[in-house]
Amino acid sequence: MRKFIVLVKKEIKELLTLQVIVPMLIAVLAFILIGNIIGSEARRAMEAQDIAVLDQDNSPVSQQAIDFLRINQFQVQELAGPTVQGVIEEVKERELGGLIVIPEGFSSGLAAHEPQEIQTYTVLRSFAMTGSAGVEAISGAVGLINEFVSTQLITREIPGVSIGLLKNPIHPRDIVIIGDNQAQVHPSMVMGFITSQTIFIPIILFFVIIFAAQMIVASVATEKENKTLETLLTTPVSRSSLVSSKMVAAGIIALLVSLVYMVGFSYYMGGIMEGVGGQITAGMGEAMVELGLVLHLSSYVFLGLSVFFAILCALAIALILGSFAQDLKSAQGLIAPMTFLIMIPYILALFLDMTTLTPVIRYLIYAIPFAHPFMAVPNLFLQNYNFVLAGIIYQGVVFVIFVLIAARIYSSDRVLTMKLKLRKS
Amino acid sequence: MLLKQALLIENLKKSFGNNEALKGISLSVEPNEIFALIGPNGAGKTTALRIVAALLTPSGGRVEVFGNNVRERPDRVREIISYLPEEAGAYKNLTGNGYLRFMGELFATQRRELDDFLQRARDICGLGDRLNDKIGTYSKGMVRKLLLARALMTRPRLAILDEPTSGLDVINALEVRNLIKGFAREGMSVFLSSHNMLEIEYLSDRVGIIHQGIIYDMGTPEELKGKYGSSNLEEVFAEVAR
Repeated sequence: MRKFIVLVKKEIKELLTLQVIVPMLIAVLAFILIGNIIGSEARRAMEAQDIAVLDQDNSPVSQQAIDFLRINQFQVQELAGPTVQGVIEEVKERELGGLIVIPEGFSSGLAAHEPQEIQTYTVLRSFAMTGSAGVEAISGAVGLINEFVSTQLITREIPGVSIGLLKNPIHPRDIVIIGDNQAQVHPSMVMGFITSQTIFIPIILFFVIIFAAQMIVASVATEKENKTLETLLTTPVSRSSLVSSKMVAAGIIALLVSLVYMVGFSYYMGGIMEGVGGQITAGMGEAMVELGLVLHLSSYVFLGLSVFFAILCALAIALILGSFAQDLKSAQGLIAPMTFLIMIPYILALFLDMTTLTPVIRYLIYAIPFAHPFMAVPNLFLQNYNFVLAGIIYQGVVFVIFVLIAARIYSSDRVLTMKLKLRKS
Repeated sequence: MLLKQALLIENLKKSFGNNEALKGISLSVEPNEIFALIGPNGAGKTTALRIVAALLTPSGGRVEVFGNNVRERPDRVREIISYLPEEAGAYKNLTGNGYLRFMGELFATQRRELDDFLQRARDICGLGDRLNDKIGTYSKGMVRKLLLARALMTRPRLAILDEPTSGLDVINALEVRNLIKGFAREGMSVFLSSHNMLEIEYLSDRVGIIHQGIIYDMGTPEELKGKYGSSNLEEVFAEVAR
């Protein structure tokens, strides 16, 4: 045990170098910076409902419509001018998002029961996501004018009737069913809530598994490149200690690095999603409890085990791949296929429901030991414990097989003589 | 009572695929003896050393270190040997002291033993305060002296040294040769290989001439020179290889 700790300490010292720490900190700072910039821009775009209105009708109805916009959080700049083109130039100059033109005869046309046309001009200054806020503002304002005018018309034409009844005669009562549980909540709210609560899990997993694998391959490859492995293999240390110390050290550093990255990433996502997440999660707790969509302690234990075994599998496979590496450069090439194997379930878990895939593809995905933690989260929410447990057992079997193969390689002279021939000599 | 031989090799064979690196070599090294394998590149010297160091498994034959079969008891063999590979490196991110401590901790069973190892290593390498610097800043010769100190600090019963003075200048190489001789006088057995015939002649009690996986002749430098009527081992080797 003492020698094992000595080896782990040495591995950590070797792996945790400035070359690892500095890029990591830079990436984290970049995450935080970008998150804050995007967040503040998004907030600005959401707040800035500045629009211009050219009221050519200048009637009580058009003025009331403009007031209605102001009541509904719009900063309305009323502009005037002899030509629309001249007003458009002013809109551009004052960097307003768009212009709504209420034409002359607007109110009299409505009074004559004729549908009216409102022209809108949207000034597109960028095609970025935050640039779409201006587009939304104009269509939102037109929607509000429509709402106002329609209410006015109904009140005038059918006095004494309930406007609410006429406009929305049907009130949906949405009930979501999950297993044997039911709750009165809109399905999209449930979907949004679960997504907001679990979006980080696959990302964290992806980071941890990739880092762990890269660390261990780099560790073996560096030992080979620097010609230190040969000496180490002749010391009175069991090969299992050598193998497991590399796995433990790589696991510790992978967790540490991933934790640091996740702090940065959560700032990044926090900046972007600020405000949006609050709206989704507000008042959802009760409905989630009714639906049973709550992770219990046992769920976290299952998830932890699934993640733990996925990391162990990645470490064992990476250890075998590392034995093929001649140097750090070749190690990068060796780890690439494994990265793809981790990416496939990661991407699928983010965008798809695995159960809807065809059986062949589904079982191929199940065969990837790293896929199970990605699938564990939705299954734990649905209390499908047997599926998660089966996945953990499968991961355990895969881990044992690969560790035995790794131990066999490192106990023989193959670790020194094996190399992957990628081209014909 | 007969003392066990430090090293016994009988009919040792090793193949890598179709390439037969060792074709059945036999030799023995007595306690306190320095035995050298000499031969050209690819003769099988390093392969033989690696098998004795329990790094490679033999394809055939028997290898025993102080009575311990390397195939059956590799862990016991690793406790009593020390191997210095020809192109060995050290962990560049560790300091010299850090490296010696790390390697010492893998051999030492007690704190006092570790302290002894470290003191001996410092004396052997003579790197002084540079031991506090990272190994990445060392010259090739400094790394070699550090590695040699690492190999000898544990007072192995059998030291397996592949080209021990490789990369050292004349003065340092002379120091290292004297050091190895001194350790042998104190009870260490040495199994080494070298291209440098003059070094071998100065250092070795006995020599084995290996070529294409076969040991062609063996004896003390004097015996071999007398047998082939040569004035030095280079001429002996040329004669044997012919």
